[in-house]
Amino acid sequence: MSGESAVIRLGHDLVRNFQMLPREQAATEIATHIAKFWEPRMRHELMAHVRLGDMAMHPLLVAAAEHFVDHEINRGDLREASG
Amino acid sequence: MTLIVEPDYGTPAVRGGADARVTIDGREITVPAGTSVLRAAKEAGIDIPKLCATDSLKAFGSCRLCLVEVEGARGTPASCTTPCADGMVVSTQSEQVVEVRRGVMELYLSDHPTSCAGCARGNCEMQDLAHQVGVDTVRYGLGGVSHLAEPADTTNPYFAYEPSACIVCSRCVRACGEIQGTFALTVQGRGFDSRITPGGTDFLSSECVSCGACVQACPTDALTEKSVIDLGMPSRSVLTTCAYCGVGCSFKAEVRGSGSESRVVRMMPWKDGGANEGHSCVKGRFAYGYASHRDRQLHPMVRDTIGEEWRVVSWDEAIRRVAEGFRSLQGRFGAGAIGAISSSRCTNEEVYVVQKMVRAAFGNNNVDTCARVCHSPTGFGLGQAFGTSAGTQDFASVDDCDVILLVGANPTDAHPVFASRMKRRLREGARIIVADPRRIDLVRSPHVEAAHHLPVRPGTNVAFVNAMAHVIVTEGLHDVDFLRERCEDASDYLTFIAGAEHSPEATADVTGIPAEELRAAARLYATGGNAGIYYGLGVTEHSQGSTMVMGLANLAMLTGNLGREGVGVNPLRGQNNVQGSCDMGSFPHELPGYRHVSREDVRAIYDDLWGVRISPHPGLRIPNMFDSAVGGTFKGLFVQGEDIAQSDPNTAHVESALKSMELVVVQDLFLNETARFAHVFLPGTSFLEKDGTFTNAERRINRVRPVMPSPTGKDEWEIVCDIATAMGYPMSYAQPSEIMAEIASTTPTFAGVSFERLDAEGSMQWPVNDAAPHGTPTMHIGQFVRGLGHLATTHYVPTTEVTGHRYPLVLTTGRILSQYNVGAQTRRTANSTWHPQDILEIHPADAEPRGISSGDVVELTSRVGSTHLTAEVSERMPPGVVYTTFHHPVTGANVVTTENSDWATNCPEYKVTAVQVTVVTETVRAAYEESVATATGSVR
Repeated sequence: MSGESAVIRLGHDLVRNFQMLPREQAATEIATHIAKFWEPRMRHELMAHVRLGDMAMHPLLVAAAEHFVDHEINRGDLREASG
Repeated sequence: MTLIVEPDYGTPAVRGGADARVTIDGREITVPAGTSVLRAAKEAGIDIPKLCATDSLKAFGSCRLCLVEVEGARGTPASCTTPCADGMVVSTQSEQVVEVRRGVMELYLSDHPTSCAGCARGNCEMQDLAHQVGVDTVRYGLGGVSHLAEPADTTNPYFAYEPSACIVCSRCVRACGEIQGTFALTVQGRGFDSRITPGGTDFLSSECVSCGACVQACPTDALTEKSVIDLGMPSRSVLTTCAYCGVGCSFKAEVRGSGSESRVVRMMPWKDGGANEGHSCVKGRFAYGYASHRDRQLHPMVRDTIGEEWRVVSWDEAIRRVAEGFRSLQGRFGAGAIGAISSSRCTNEEVYVVQKMVRAAFGNNNVDTCARVCHSPTGFGLGQAFGTSAGTQDFASVDDCDVILLVGANPTDAHPVFASRMKRRLREGARIIVADPRRIDLVRSPHVEAAHHLPVRPGTNVAFVNAMAHVIVTEGLHDVDFLRERCEDASDYLTFIAGAEHSPEATADVTGIPAEELRAAARLYATGGNAGIYYGLGVTEHSQGSTMVMGLANLAMLTGNLGREGVGVNPLRGQNNVQGSCDMGSFPHELPGYRHVSREDVRAIYDDLWGVRISPHPGLRIPNMFDSAVGGTFKGLFVQGEDIAQSDPNTAHVESALKSMELVVVQDLFLNETARFAHVFLPGTSFLEKDGTFTNAERRINRVRPVMPSPTGKDEWEIVCDIATAMGYPMSYAQPSEIMAEIASTTPTFAGVSFERLDAEGSMQWPVNDAAPHGTPTMHIGQFVRGLGHLATTHYVPTTEVTGHRYPLVLTTGRILSQYNVGAQTRRTANSTWHPQDILEIHPADAEPRGISSGDVVELTSRVGSTHLTAEVSERMPPGVVYTTFHHPVTGANVVTTENSDWATNCPEYKVTAVQVTVVTETVRAAYEESVATATGSVR
């Protein structure tokens, strides 16, 4: 994975973790995670990769990124504490 | 304050049972039946002379001084070994016992130095007892055969053994066995020839771990701290908390002098300390000298570029430089261009003000803490499973364990005082399952033998924990009632985990654990009685760290091992205040109390109190800060008490990030590795100067009290307040208790905490609130914090860090007893006597084909870097896996660790790095050894 930008590397870590779920559920989980834990500039950078059509991006990461545009964090997801 | 002398009741307290009413010297007292007469007498205010008895050890009955007469009984039994029975009438001062005692004391004194003035201890029990029993002359004379000419053993750097003063009471031997559990000491010879020996060698060469229990137990001058010999007896005590590991031991700092002239003579473990109950380890007991080491920096310093020399400046100038620099960066690059990293070695109050400075003065959430690189997956995983980011038990809970599942932790080295407690429980009959690639001491050591050692291959923890759960579920060993009553619908998880792909047979090739061994371990965990899980960084520091934490929580929920004593899921936290720094809102997405920044109701609390608008967006985590710095959008960093250039992975990347920033501010005791890249250095305070609280791994909030004033002129919380104020956001507190008051007023789990209450109660475990005014030793009784427990489906996703032709071995890292973390503290003490450099452990099967022998200097290479260190051929590691520590910057083990991280928290995957090991040339070897010698000499 050398040469990947950091946000793509981190995004692909999420893909590997959620890709066994049904596609829409996986995209939602990844998007929610990004919304909860990624600083805005990281999200913007990820979206820039999507807009540029970065071919190195896993399709599920693209789907997740598109999913969380204007996504509000589900308050129900906030009850669990996290690191 | 004067010197605190804790009463010694002679034998341990007896818990529970029926009462016994006894009469001692005419005084009636009621005690639990089974209490020794010696202890009952002390509780009634009657001192019976004793030498071999002390209340931290079982009665021994050898010194024959504590003799008493009991009505209706024959002879003069030893009161330490005589249990109280209802109606017993005891005389401690009859003519007969007084006469016998006097004779016994004469015999002791006939083979004991006569000059009390030459005794360093100053509180030798012999002296007091001689006076107490009325012996002022020895009828036998002093010219006979004696041990008075035996030479002292001064090999241990911290204490001396003076055999001439030894009375062979065996307190040291028993302390080493019963309290510490090392069994390094023994009595050699018989009768008059009986002598105490550390296994027939000197102390330094022996198995002794220098915990200090023997020194503490010794009633004479035979075992004495060298600091007492050098400085004399202390004159006052300050109760405080150790600043090393997450056990959080309570100590009496015993001091001479006052104010800035104060000098710590010794650190004595506090018997009433909730975490340690009077025990200690070599770090907390002895390795405090770094606080007064010559490397300590006491003045603020600045420089324009990192290539320049430091220039000492006033506090005002340093603060102004930081404030103006940060504001300038924000003006040019935006509010998010700066951030801060807080330290788990600092107090709750100190880290609280850092996150407040970031959120209120910086105007962003770019604050993170060193828990990012150790236990952040614990926060995530336990939060998901149970609803709160902390362990479930207190340390005392292990006393009720029947089975201990120890995963990825090495408590005898990293959490020694808790390990002693664990070993005591194992000697009582509890069984332990050790899941660790390394044969740690708890696999096999004196009086400890693991029921199962599961040498799980690094990176495969989740496959292992799933196999454990698979056995439990498919063999019907799970607690159906607990799952139904206490957890969310677990049917999806049960279906998932029953899949054949999770069976021990299917995963054995992945995990390296023989299937039958794993099945037996799973059965023992599920059916062996109370089962407690204890784990460390071998769980969290993986790309699947959070998943593994959830997997362990699943095991506990599956078997109903939660919500009572003797069970639970217990992270062994690395640093003294990891728990506290997380509690205090040091993560970039959470406000204090683990409440997400997007929650309007929580932000409103701080918006109103602080008079600002807190950003609803998460900030940058530490690795994100580095990436953003390299990317050019993150320009300024305040680093409180962390050495990120040594402790964080992929050193080259970290250094590149630090070099990319325009303003790096380091607040620390020493010019550490990170300070090489700093523009402003702000001198910090040691734990001996701090006033505040630490929260340990069992959620216990302990007071940290100043032994001496800050030699820098400022406390660390004051520095942070000054920076915020200079940036235009006024922050001030008259004293740290006011900071805790603010924490308590805004954080529900701390609602009942104050310095006054902590001073009164000793310590309290959060949550402390109206429902639990004295704290909460055991969590999740009756229901989980989140209501119903959540069993996550824990898919095993292999790490991307894989071995191959170029890097065929897996490197995993850990700690060693005498050193701590990056070694900034312990390397500046005599602890380096035991571990002057990092060592690479390598299996003979890997060493032989590479031509490596013990003592060879080798090159350790990964895909991101290479370094040098000395090899030790050892079968502690399995073939294919090598191990080292990261205590010494000369090696800088993190030069080779990678940017791989936990998927959920970005906790680095320190435990899995593909490497190659090769022997170096003689030239390289010589250069390395010179570097080690230089470094060792420079920090002593």
